[in-house]
Amino acid sequence: MTRTEDPALARFNPLPRVLVHDDFDTGAHGWVELIGNHDEHGDLGTVDDHMRDFRPPQLSSCNFFDVGTHGALSGTYALKVATRPLTGHTGVAIRRLTMAGRGLVQFETYLTYKSEAASAENRAAYAAGSGKWDANFHPSENQFGAFTVATDICDGVRYHCVARYLNTDLANRPRRQWVYPAVPEPTPREHFEGKLKLPPTADFTAPDPDDWHAFGDAQELCYNEVPTKVNWHYLRWLIDTRTRTNVELQLNDTVHDMRGVPVPAYAEEYGSLRNLLNFYVSVRTHTDVRNFLYLDSVLVSVDW
Amino acid sequence: MSMRQSLTAVLERGATLTGSFATEPYEAAWAAEARWFVRTLAPPPDGARLLVHAQVSPDGLHWCDLDEPRPVDAALVSWTSVRFGGWLRLAGTLEPGGTRSAETTVHIYLALKS
Repeated sequence: MTRTEDPALARFNPLPRVLVHDDFDTGAHGWVELIGNHDEHGDLGTVDDHMRDFRPPQLSSCNFFDVGTHGALSGTYALKVATRPLTGHTGVAIRRLTMAGRGLVQFETYLTYKSEAASAENRAAYAAGSGKWDANFHPSENQFGAFTVATDICDGVRYHCVARYLNTDLANRPRRQWVYPAVPEPTPREHFEGKLKLPPTADFTAPDPDDWHAFGDAQELCYNEVPTKVNWHYLRWLIDTRTRTNVELQLNDTVHDMRGVPVPAYAEEYGSLRNLLNFYVSVRTHTDVRNFLYLDSVLVSVDW
Repeated sequence: MSMRQSLTAVLERGATLTGSFATEPYEAAWAAEARWFVRTLAPPPDGARLLVHAQVSPDGLHWCDLDEPRPVDAALVSWTSVRFGGWLRLAGTLEPGGTRSAETTVHIYLALKS
């Protein structure tokens, strides 16, 4: 069967070499909770406070109180990354590869994002961002903070390509805007060297909101009104590891040119990371309501 | 028979427990087997006792008990849950006993297998 005849692959638009194709009906495929570094004794108390609780990803059947099992784009299961119901909390799942060459790298996925439906226990209907339901707009949509697709790459120089969909600002007001960080992610070594110490709910990618900048036009996605309807969105993100640059980000019918979007690099060298090629996805809540990012499947391809 | 799927989730990492608590919900519909591990890093004071029990849910929002409370009375305690449906979490209570306020620090693992 050729790629175009296989529905699982035909929905993607890969570069010549497919590195990974992760269908979450067949396991987690190496997607795992991100955690900061620990010491030589295995003492997890030495892990940075803001990097010790990114939550284990789940193989989710997209199960909701009103309809039961929604299921994924294909089959039953999707990878779910979930936050705690705690303002500023971030869930992060990471996939770890290395590079056998340099050039174009493309990350594709079908995703959806949801806030947790309200219950007597979670009191989401009374949390910040809630508001008046009008039978079209559901306040749950403004209780979803942001999701992020990102990399951690090291070819001698370590850098992160990052794209975040900022659904709401920190005051739970709609932004629907793609943003990027102008600074590299704080690292455990910087903490170890006494250069910084961040609180548990810090935005680990770039803690200062002023370090995030918009690219492209605002983009409405398909939350589909309530927290229990799952509509899958196509995302295609292209970077170039030869030039350490972003190229473009496609979300459904919109392609955002990212060639001018800076990629902050670390001024210092990091050992033990030669040819590092990590991808991570994260979800961050801006209110005391659980936020979820679901991936039906992922495909990473390269031109090398 | 194809190779079985397995996944171990660390539901709590170095969590300090006091009073009543519940872990975050975890989706486990794909799994046929579940085994819990509670590893105590810092035990509660003498007289206090940690009791835990698995809970299940139809939707991740509303929960009921799956089994009877069991004591966490060793450095590593483990047991299984079966016929749990789609969701699992671990709930419990740290009974302070004669102490005024008690706390304990634990890792909580959930090992799932298809």
